[in-house]
Amino acid sequence: MKVRVKAFARFREIIGSENIIDLEDGSSVLGALKSLSADSNEFGEACFDKNGNVASHVVLMINGKRIGRDRETITLLEGDELAIFPPVAGG
Amino acid sequence: MLSRKEHERYHRQIMLFGETGQEKLKSARVVIAGAGGLGCPIATYLAVAGVGHIRIIDHDTVERTNLNRQILHWEQDIGNVKTVSAGEKLRQINPDVEIEAVQVTIDEETAPGLVRNADAIVDAMDNYPTRYLLNHLACTFGIPLFHGAVRGFDGQATTIIPGKTACLSCIFPKAPPKEIFPVIGVTPGIIGMIQANEVLKYILGTGELLNNKLLIWDGLHSVLETVQVERDPSCTECSHIKS
Repeated sequence: MKVRVKAFARFREIIGSENIIDLEDGSSVLGALKSLSADSNEFGEACFDKNGNVASHVVLMINGKRIGRDRETITLLEGDELAIFPPVAGG
Repeated sequence: MLSRKEHERYHRQIMLFGETGQEKLKSARVVIAGAGGLGCPIATYLAVAGVGHIRIIDHDTVERTNLNRQILHWEQDIGNVKTVSAGEKLRQINPDVEIEAVQVTIDEETAPGLVRNADAIVDAMDNYPTRYLLNHLACTFGIPLFHGAVRGFDGQATTIIPGKTACLSCIFPKAPPKEIFPVIGVTPGIIGMIQANEVLKYILGTGELLNNKLLIWDGLHSVLETVQVERDPSCTECSHIKS
């Protein structure tokens, strides 16, 4: 299945603003992010913490809506848009 | 009542929202937490709009590295206290509004007294621990919090109405890592304007706010978009507040 990945800020600098990735049916959010990090070490370093979990401050959205608890295990569907956003902190 | 001078000064915006709206602005008390990249443009535009009481808080002194974005601080102010520098300029920009510039570190001890009587709190901070503290106080006292943050050409903003919208902890449960952030002055200029615009609409009771919407600005591609956010039913800060 094809899933669109939309990246913001630092993630956009690494992988570009929009990517369409091919995943096996039933893949999870984590699966999509692992697939992206397989293509880019820099993406992996920015996205995952030392324990291999998605860094806790990174905001993930599916079809424009923020996902919270158990977000890594959510199953993606054909045509979904997964967005990845690192909050900024400066003022 | 507005004076003749005030009528003249605010003529073009009284055309928009009437004398009643201008009087609402005049009687509003807004706290701006930070007199840096965000705080300077926010304070400038709230002052020229005629927000009657502006309390601007910062603990820093002006450094040369601030001058690419902190537009109320000039070469002559290097080494001076930011609140003094900002206060002087704001009083010249609009002598008809009250500017209270407070030099203090915003922490658990000082913050409650600084925000308690405010109609609105504007987040112009550069770090999440202080933002979470402001969010906590906004939720505790039921005061709206207008969030903004920037990095490089990127920025974000949202409006938090305690009990009605997602709070800062609902949206960002964990703070991003600390860093010395790169930034170009236009970014806090743009995000600061969005925050100031939100504050004005809130006071005037007009338009639609960024309630449950996170606005994301991508300055490199000139793309502005909003994503939907929602209250976290288990949020430690706001889940106890009834809507």
